[in-house]
Amino acid sequence: MASKADRPELIIKGKRLDGRAFNELRPIKIEAGVLKNAAGSARLEWGDNRVLAAVFGPIECQPKHTSDPAKAVIKCKYSMAPFSSIGEHGRTGPNRRAIEISKVTKEAFENVVFLNEYPGSEIDIFIEVLQSDGGTRCAGITAAAVAMANAGIHMKDVMYAVSAGKVGNEMLLDFNMIEDNYSDSDMPMAISPKDNSVLLLQMDGNNSKEELKKGMEMVLEAGKKISKIQRDALLEVYRKAEANAEKGV
Amino acid sequence: MKTIVMPGDVIEQTAERIENTYSENGKLYSKIIGLYDSEKGSLVSLEGIWSPRVGDNVVGIIKSARNAVYEVDLSFFLRSILVGSKYDRHIHKPGDVIEATIKDVEDRKTVVLTAERVLHGGTVLNVKPTKVPRIIGKANTMVKQISDMTRCNIIVGKNGIVWIKGGNVALATAAIRQIEDEAHTSGLTERIKKMLEDGGGSMPEPVQEADKYGNAETPDNDMRRNGPHGSYNKDRNAEVKGYTAASDNTDIEIEK
Amino acid sequence: MEPMDEVKTYYIKELLARGKREDNRGMFDFRQIRIKRGVIQHAEGSAQVELGGTVVLAGVKLQIEEPMEDTPKQGNLMVAAELLPLAHADFESGPPSPESIELSRVVDRGIRAAECIDLESLFIEEGKAWTAFIDLYILNHDGNLLDASSIAAMAAIMDTKMPRYDAEKKVADYTVKTEPLKVKNIVVSTTFGKVGSTIVLDTNMHEENSMDTRLTIETDGKAVRAIQKGLHGSFSVKEIESLVDVAFNKYNEVKSILEH
Repeated sequence: MASKADRPELIIKGKRLDGRAFNELRPIKIEAGVLKNAAGSARLEWGDNRVLAAVFGPIECQPKHTSDPAKAVIKCKYSMAPFSSIGEHGRTGPNRRAIEISKVTKEAFENVVFLNEYPGSEIDIFIEVLQSDGGTRCAGITAAAVAMANAGIHMKDVMYAVSAGKVGNEMLLDFNMIEDNYSDSDMPMAISPKDNSVLLLQMDGNNSKEELKKGMEMVLEAGKKISKIQRDALLEVYRKAEANAEKGV
Repeated sequence: MKTIVMPGDVIEQTAERIENTYSENGKLYSKIIGLYDSEKGSLVSLEGIWSPRVGDNVVGIIKSARNAVYEVDLSFFLRSILVGSKYDRHIHKPGDVIEATIKDVEDRKTVVLTAERVLHGGTVLNVKPTKVPRIIGKANTMVKQISDMTRCNIIVGKNGIVWIKGGNVALATAAIRQIEDEAHTSGLTERIKKMLEDGGGSMPEPVQEADKYGNAETPDNDMRRNGPHGSYNKDRNAEVKGYTAASDNTDIEIEK
Repeated sequence: MEPMDEVKTYYIKELLARGKREDNRGMFDFRQIRIKRGVIQHAEGSAQVELGGTVVLAGVKLQIEEPMEDTPKQGNLMVAAELLPLAHADFESGPPSPESIELSRVVDRGIRAAECIDLESLFIEEGKAWTAFIDLYILNHDGNLLDASSIAAMAAIMDTKMPRYDAEKKVADYTVKTEPLKVKNIVVSTTFGKVGSTIVLDTNMHEENSMDTRLTIETDGKAVRAIQKGLHGSFSVKEIESLVDVAFNKYNEVKSILEH
C-alpha cells in the first residue's frame, strides 16, 4: 500500500475517479472454453484486468506421494505476466504473494468440488493474469470457477469473488489499481451463491464492524450480477454451437 | 422440457434422487453443467469425464505387460488392467490398441477389463466422453454414416478414445470434432452428412480390407456393436464396417 | 513417450511416408495465421498469434536501463519465453526448461540479427537507454512454437509505442505513449520438421512428436538471418539448400500478414 500522505482524491462529488458509484462493479466479460488443450477454461475481462484460467483433470496424481487414495487433490497456480502492469517489467516466477493466493484459491475450491468422486486423482487450476488493474485474485477465482464448470468437474456451486474496501470514510466495491494502492482497507471474498456461504475471506487495513457488514452486503449484492455473467458465459458455449449449427444447414 | 442447468442450480423436486445431483437441506441441486429433462427426470452431463461402468465398451492402449497382467491406458485417472489367460502370456505388447469390456471396477481404484480384441494399425483420437453417445448416434446411425462416407473403420470407446483406420481419416476426424462441438443441437445427422459430402466423402462400393495378419473383416460383422444410445452389444466382432478403396492413395494401411 | 502418443506417431509417420499430412495440408503450407494486436494495453506493445491450434501471446515492455558497456550508445532487447502449464498437460511450472530457453534465444537471434529494432533509437542520454523486454507467453501448444513465437514477437514489436521519457525526473512516464518503436526490418521464421525422409513446414503436435529433427530458417526476404537445427536427426546439405529456397518463398506470405 502506498502512503496515504500523497493519496490523490479518489472520490470527487460522490463519484469515483472512473465515474463509478460506490457500489458499482467494473464491466465484466467472460468467455468459456477458450483453450483447446485444457479440460475447461475461461478468459475474463474485468475492468482492465485480463485473466486466463484453465483446468486440467481429473488426471492421475503425480508425483504419487502427493496423491490421496480417498479423494482428489486440487493443485492451483496463480501467476502474473511480466508485461501485465503499467510501469516496469515484472519479475517472472512465483513470489510469496502468488503462492499465498494460489493456496487460498485452492482451499476455496476444495469446499465445492466433490473430491471423493475422483479418488487418487489431481485437478489442476492455472490462473494467468495477463493484465492487472487491481482485484486480480478475485478475477482469477471468478474465471477459475467458470473453467471448473466448463471442465464438467462435479461441484456444489459456481463461486464468484469480488472485494470491498474503505477509502476515507466510504466503503467501495471492486477497487481498481489506484484505489487499491491508496485504500484504507481491502477485503476480497469468494462466495458460493446458492447459500451465500463464504469460501474465501481476506482483509487488511482498518474497518469497523459496521463497515465490514456494509462491505459484505455490497459483495453479496454485486455477486448476483457476477453470477449472471458467469452463467451466461457457460451457456454461450452452447448457444454459439447452436448458431453455427443453424448457419450450417 | 429440456433446460441447461449449472452446478448449484435447484432441480425441481422429484420423488427420488437423480444422477448428477446432490441434496442439501431438503433440496436437490445439480453438480454439473448439463441438460435437465423435466419430463424424463434426467440430468445429462454436457462436459466432464467418463465414469466407468461394468459392461462399458472401451478403447485403450496397452501400457505394460507383466505375467499376463496388462496395464491399459484408457485416458482416465484410475488404473486399468486386463488379466490375460495364464496359457497365452504376453500376446499383447505395449502400444497395442485394444477394445475391451469393463468386467469390474474394483474398490473404486482399478478398472478391470475383459474380452479384449486387438485393433491392428490405424490411429487413435481423444474425444470428450460426454459426446460419445452423439458420435455413435441412435442405433449407430452417426458413426455408420461417417464410416460409410469416409471409408474408415471406426470404433468409439465409452472412455473417449476413438480408433480410426483406413480411408479419409482427416475428414472423419473433422466430422467427429464437429459432433463434439454441436452435440446438444438437433438436426446434427443431416448437417454431418452435408459436411462429409462437402468434404469429398462419398458412398463407395465396399471393399474388404485385410489386416496385417491377412484377416479380412467379414461384411456381416457391421452394425452389431452398439445398440441404441450406444449401449454395448455382446457381439465381440462388433466393429462398425469400414470401406477401403484398394487403389486409392488415401488408403492408409498401417503395419507395425 | 506414452503408448498413446506412440500409436498416433506411428500413424503420422506412415502417412507422411505416403506424402500426406494428418490435416490434408500441403508439405510446405503454414496452418492459418491469425494476429490480434494491442491485446494488453498495459504493455507498450502486444500481439496474440494463432498458428492453427498453437496460441502465443507476446508482450513488449520498455524499461530504462544502463546501456551495455560495449554499446554505450544503444538500447537493448531481451526475449523470454514461458511455456505456461495451462498450454499443455506436459508443461510444468518451475524454472525455465531448456526448451523454453532455446525457444526464446532463437526468436531473439532472428530479431537481433535482422536488426528489426533500431537499437540506436532506444538511446536516451549518457548512461540511460531503453531496453525492450519481449515476453512470449505460450497459451496453447499444438506444435511449432518457434514460428508462432517469432510471428508474435514481430507483431508485438510492430505494435509497440514508446513511453514518454520524463527528462526532468529522469524516469519513464508510462502513462503517456509517444511515437511507435522504430522498426527497421521484418524477420520471418520458417521451421521444418523431418519425419523419416519427409520434410514438412509448420509441424502440428502429432507431427512434432513424430519428427526426428527440425530446422528453423529465419530470413528478411533478402538474406538468411538465423538458423537453428534441433533434435537428434540430420539434414543433407542439399535439403538445407532447398529449404532455404522455401524459406525465401514463404517470406512475403508471412510479412504481408504481419503488415496487414
